[in-house]
Amino acid sequence: MKSKVNAIWPPILLAALFLLAWQALVVIQDLKPYLLPAPSLIFTTFITNLSLMLETGLYTATTAVLGLLLGTVLGIVLAMVAQRFFVFRNLMIPVAAGIAAVPIVALTPILNNMFDITSRTPRVLITAIVVFFPIFVNVYRGLTEVPNVQLELMRSLSATPRTVTRVLRIPNALPFFFTGLKVAAPLAVIAALVAEYFGGPQEGLGSKIASSAANTAYGRAWAYVVVAIIVGLAFYLITLLLERVTTPWAGRSRSA
Amino acid sequence: MSTLAVHAEGVWKIFNEGANNEVTALSDVSIDVGKGEFVSLIGPSGCGKSTLLRVIADLIPPTRGSVSVAGVTPHEAREKHQYGMAFQQAALLDWRTVRRNVELPLELAGWDKDKRKARALELLEMVQLQDFADHRPWELSGGMQQRVAIARSLATDPEILLMDEPFGALDEMTRERMQNELLRISKATGTSVVFVTHSIPEAVYLSNRVVVMSPRPGRITHVVAVDLGERNEDTRESDAFYDSVTAVREALRGRATPVGEGGARLAETS
Amino acid sequence: MASRTSTVGSRAKRGLVSLGWALGGVLVAILLWEGVKVLGSIITLPFETSDQAMPHVWSIVSGAMQPEVRGSDTPVWQTVLIAAIYTLVIAFGGFLIGVAVGLLLAIVMQRFAFFERGLLPFVIASQTVPLIALAPLIVGIGNRISIGPFEWGQTQSIMFIAAYLAFFPLSVGALRGLQAATPTQVELMRSYAATPRQALWKLRFPASIPYLVPALKVSAAAAVVGTVVAQISTGGRGGIGRLIIEYARETTAQPAKVYVAVIGAVIVGLLAAGLVALLDLYLTRNLPKETLT
Repeated sequence: MKSKVNAIWPPILLAALFLLAWQALVVIQDLKPYLLPAPSLIFTTFITNLSLMLETGLYTATTAVLGLLLGTVLGIVLAMVAQRFFVFRNLMIPVAAGIAAVPIVALTPILNNMFDITSRTPRVLITAIVVFFPIFVNVYRGLTEVPNVQLELMRSLSATPRTVTRVLRIPNALPFFFTGLKVAAPLAVIAALVAEYFGGPQEGLGSKIASSAANTAYGRAWAYVVVAIIVGLAFYLITLLLERVTTPWAGRSRSA
Repeated sequence: MSTLAVHAEGVWKIFNEGANNEVTALSDVSIDVGKGEFVSLIGPSGCGKSTLLRVIADLIPPTRGSVSVAGVTPHEAREKHQYGMAFQQAALLDWRTVRRNVELPLELAGWDKDKRKARALELLEMVQLQDFADHRPWELSGGMQQRVAIARSLATDPEILLMDEPFGALDEMTRERMQNELLRISKATGTSVVFVTHSIPEAVYLSNRVVVMSPRPGRITHVVAVDLGERNEDTRESDAFYDSVTAVREALRGRATPVGEGGARLAETS
Repeated sequence: MASRTSTVGSRAKRGLVSLGWALGGVLVAILLWEGVKVLGSIITLPFETSDQAMPHVWSIVSGAMQPEVRGSDTPVWQTVLIAAIYTLVIAFGGFLIGVAVGLLLAIVMQRFAFFERGLLPFVIASQTVPLIALAPLIVGIGNRISIGPFEWGQTQSIMFIAAYLAFFPLSVGALRGLQAATPTQVELMRSYAATPRQALWKLRFPASIPYLVPALKVSAAAAVVGTVVAQISTGGRGGIGRLIIEYARETTAQPAKVYVAVIGAVIVGLLAAGLVALLDLYLTRNLPKETLT
């Protein structure tokens, strides 16, 4: 109990100090909101526009969830294909490794051309592509990085490849999957938000941040950023919760 | 012949045959293990003892030679779950409870749920872990995990146990307890055992015969028959025990008379 | 020494084999692209496959050769290349600053438990929130800052964003790495009466490399993605991000242009990944293969 308290108070103290310093800086230096709005202004803007804030956050969150689901399913399926077929594996693995630093969201204009730009579709698809890679790479590792002794055990029990996949590879891949999902979930929010910068419906957080900033409504722009942070954190925490529930053995040292 | 648990004749295993990193892991190895017999394979690293065990288990094919396990080919024996196997690591699946780990071979052999559960509990009682049935493997000590692995290897009531240094990672006290337990279980079930180890006292204490192997190329050099009668508290301190330990040690040093062409055939020792 | 060069050699060889497969992958992608176009001309697909939405591969290549604007003699590819290099330079600058700050913070957190407990939760949380949403606001602030004669412009703001994004993953990875030395190794250093600085150089830094390398990769990716996205969201002049936005508006007239720019962005990412891979090869030259992640 005491150690928990000890773990909690330093970050809270630092956060409080940071916000206080920010507020003090704005008040003492008399900074204009277009330069840096005070935390109090951001907070009041957030509260007075609460329903609009939630609606906007929900739009981007929905895009992110749909993209996350699609990208996750694709990543898992193709990782299983790659584990079975070496040609596909050899084609995919270097691409997946090389693409790590590629700004995939920059592909949005292409999808905007191919799909209906006035719909949510291109945004969901770009989110799915962004999500796909960390899921694919991690699930593939989980399916293949199975301890040799366990593979020998399965062979000694004359298990078929299908059974090995079901009994050994898939459970082995679960903690890896969550490692990927913990990367992918926040990325989904970022991708869904950034995809809005390329035109299309003006409903989401990305669109609203850009238009508020352009209209010098800085308090409102910062309030939308707060919403974005809340959505990002929510995605991450839900992933953590799912991980705790479904893989209680994750993070334990493997039995010797 | 049908009474033999394992029969291997002129077995060769050559890795990377023809390539410049060719390794002869087994060179003309012959060995018989009788029903109910306990045979240890001992020798320095690279002598091929684990390779031999894997050939018997049909985990790898021999390059040449013939092997039969319980009267059938190793492949058939594996398919019919006629042997059980234990490794140096317990190789338990972290996501299954202890009981479900023991059930794994039964699941793969197609047993139905209730029978599986009853059998697993029976086996856990045999290794005195019935209270831990619903625990997860990581909550158990190394020795307990290895006991679960042994229970698992006995699940399908196999005629033969193949064990690859199963106690290698345990401390000395746990190790001796496990040895007693293994002897008790193999005796109670009438199971034949092929046991790979690095430890001379362990080989002597457990076995009816100790097969001594030597590397480059991997081959059988000596077979030491051990006759200590019923093992008990005093066995490890008896003169006969020390004599056998010395005999195996001498054999490992290459000072004893080597076996002839026949390898480790039953006829030569009994 | 001999074995060291041979491991580097074999890793380079494996890299070449992977590169061959990657080129095969690109070929497959081109075939798929053209195949989808053919399919789209036969049956109705749920998306547009016309030459305007999906130009032929050869149209994109020839589009890259055409002048950037009518009457100009700079071809599109040259404009894209310059923008790509400019973006890569900004990303690299941001990466260097991010790495320096991240390392410093990791060292401070390793030495002083209070900072670790106070800062680490924020460092981890900040990796989960879309900080890039701040980009338009940071550029907005930056445009109004001047320090003496030095004018803080858009470029500096974008580099700041890149550094900011690169710094978080690096500090977490570096901290884990600095804490990776085993208790036995730390006791060994104590038995030699090593100063904290000696322990840092002789033990903690070398021991941190298996953790540092993946962190550097994530940081480099964050710097590149951050730079391009910041250029997109703020219309940062001269960069590839701005070019993509501009060319996207010209698809009716010159549909190939936006594709050339997008390929430019992809190449920026690949180059950055390649540079970090070289750094990886150098940093891990003395490590056994198994410890690499």
